Amino acid sequence: MAAEVAVVAQGVRKRFGAVEALRGLDVAIRAGEIYGLLGPNGSGKTTFIRCVAGLLRPEKGTLTVLGQTPRAAVNSGRVGYMTQAPALYGELSVQENLRFFAALERVPKAEQRIEEALRAVDLLDRRKSVVNTLSGGMRTRVSIAATFLHHPLLLLLDEPTVGVDPVLRQELWSRFRRLAAAGITILVSSHVMDEASRCDRLGLIRDGVVLAEGSTQDLVSRAGTRDLESAFLAFAAAR
Amino acid sequence: MDVRRVRAVAKRIVLGFRRDRRSLGLLFAAPIVVLSLVGAVWGSATERAPTVVVATDRFTLPASTLDAFIGSSRIHGRRATFEEGMRQLREGEIDAVVWLEGTTLHVLMQGDDPLQSGSIGGPIQEALLDTVRGNPALAGPRVEIEQLYGGPDYSILDYLAPVLIAFFAFFFIFLLSAVSFLRERTTGTLERLMATPLRRGELVLGYLAGFGFFALLQAIVILLFSVFVLQVRYRGNLATIFIVEAVLVLGAVSLGLLVSAAARNELQAVQFVPLVLLPQVFLSGLLIPLDQLPDYLRPLSAVLPLTYANEALRAVMIKGFELSDPLVLRDIGVLAIFGLVMAIGAVASIRREVA
Repeated sequence: MAAEVAVVAQGVRKRFGAVEALRGLDVAIRAGEIYGLLGPNGSGKTTFIRCVAGLLRPEKGTLTVLGQTPRAAVNSGRVGYMTQAPALYGELSVQENLRFFAALERVPKAEQRIEEALRAVDLLDRRKSVVNTLSGGMRTRVSIAATFLHHPLLLLLDEPTVGVDPVLRQELWSRFRRLAAAGITILVSSHVMDEASRCDRLGLIRDGVVLAEGSTQDLVSRAGTRDLESAFLAFAAAR
Repeated sequence: MDVRRVRAVAKRIVLGFRRDRRSLGLLFAAPIVVLSLVGAVWGSATERAPTVVVATDRFTLPASTLDAFIGSSRIHGRRATFEEGMRQLREGEIDAVVWLEGTTLHVLMQGDDPLQSGSIGGPIQEALLDTVRGNPALAGPRVEIEQLYGGPDYSILDYLAPVLIAFFAFFFIFLLSAVSFLRERTTGTLERLMATPLRRGELVLGYLAGFGFFALLQAIVILLFSVFVLQVRYRGNLATIFIVEAVLVLGAVSLGLLVSAAARNELQAVQFVPLVLLPQVFLSGLLIPLDQLPDYLRPLSAVLPLTYANEALRAVMIKGFELSDPLVLRDIGVLAIFGLVMAIGAVASIRREVA
């Protein structure tokens, strides 16, 4: 059963001082799907992804990642995490950055994997470029490449398409789709409603709780609305 | 603990500095500029009345002559046996031992501090000459000035070089590691690293190795520049100096990582510099001899790493002490404990929790 469900969260709560970022969040992400966490800024998307990445410890509730605790899943090299802003070493080249992250994950045949990853994000010809000299879109692509070098089973992508032009956004989503087709589970957060249709299933998140979970079609029909935005508003109002 | 991951962190740091020319330039050029300035500014010695033991068992002049010498206003005179005087001199309690051998007056000084040596020899010689003047038995006395360490031609720079080497290693490595690690925190790479199997201890060890590499390079540059360009006199073993430096610098890197946890941006990290370094400038024996510090500041001086680095490097470079000397070993031990405590603190300051 554990293989069929990649991430299970039940009643997850996380507080930062006076602010309760997650208020009993429930999520079930199936293995091999692209799961979109959709909600406005401040709804708890990043906090939840950080919990799944083992960077934050929920105060209450249970959180299982690939059948393990989040930290154990990360330590076993089965999770790839992409932060909202590309977290790279600007003074190193693309290749040096990837070699560094490959070494941390103890990736076998690292040079071959780096070449594959660079080909996948279409940056093979920029492998020797210093990251500081790259455009924002290119940095995003390097960041994505660094995320799946070690062939993780679960990819966590925190708003990967923020500030990215429509052409690149299209490219990125087709790459995510290819990764999912290869069997990788992807948890992607977004606050852009039109990205929802690209996900297999969605979790509509607001004020630290998931309002509803399902495919776009499913959610729209359950809410009895014409589009997802109206469905989001309907679920929010019903709560 | 995985050596490959530690090596990866260290290599990442070295590769990064390759393109950070300004920091690299600062690392090597700044100490040379300051050392040159010190050499130019502090060329002259200051006068003070030295504390002198007259070896009564080797001083055969009449009691009145002895009294006149000890009572001279040019010195603070004391009576003791030759052996007791030598003990006091070795332990730094007095400035010189004086005795008479035939018609030759011997003046023996420590000589590890040219600032003191310069100001000791003159007054003692004058006091002796005043005393024996008009004494027919000692007409035209021969005065021989000898030193336990160093020589009369030692300059203030020779004395300062060991402590400056320690200071520069500590200062630049502390600053660079604090700012570098702060960048890890502010640019999000630390968050990214914490979402990999990398352990906090591996990260700190990688930093220690990466910055230790630059610290030793810096030590080589400073030492070669001091010896060959500034003509600093130097005794002792080069390897021992490197060991002292390496142990000191491990504490500096860890302290830098620790400070970066308390700072939110680079400007704040820089503000920690005077806080961490100025006490060490004044309380570690760098500018002011430790025995001249007020009593209430002594405990503070005793917990500063530079106090021990200065003592050890002076002992090795000026007095030619070996690594096996108890004083050097004790200082290295204290520095190692400081480094270990700071490293543990640094590991504890890196929290997996990002917010």
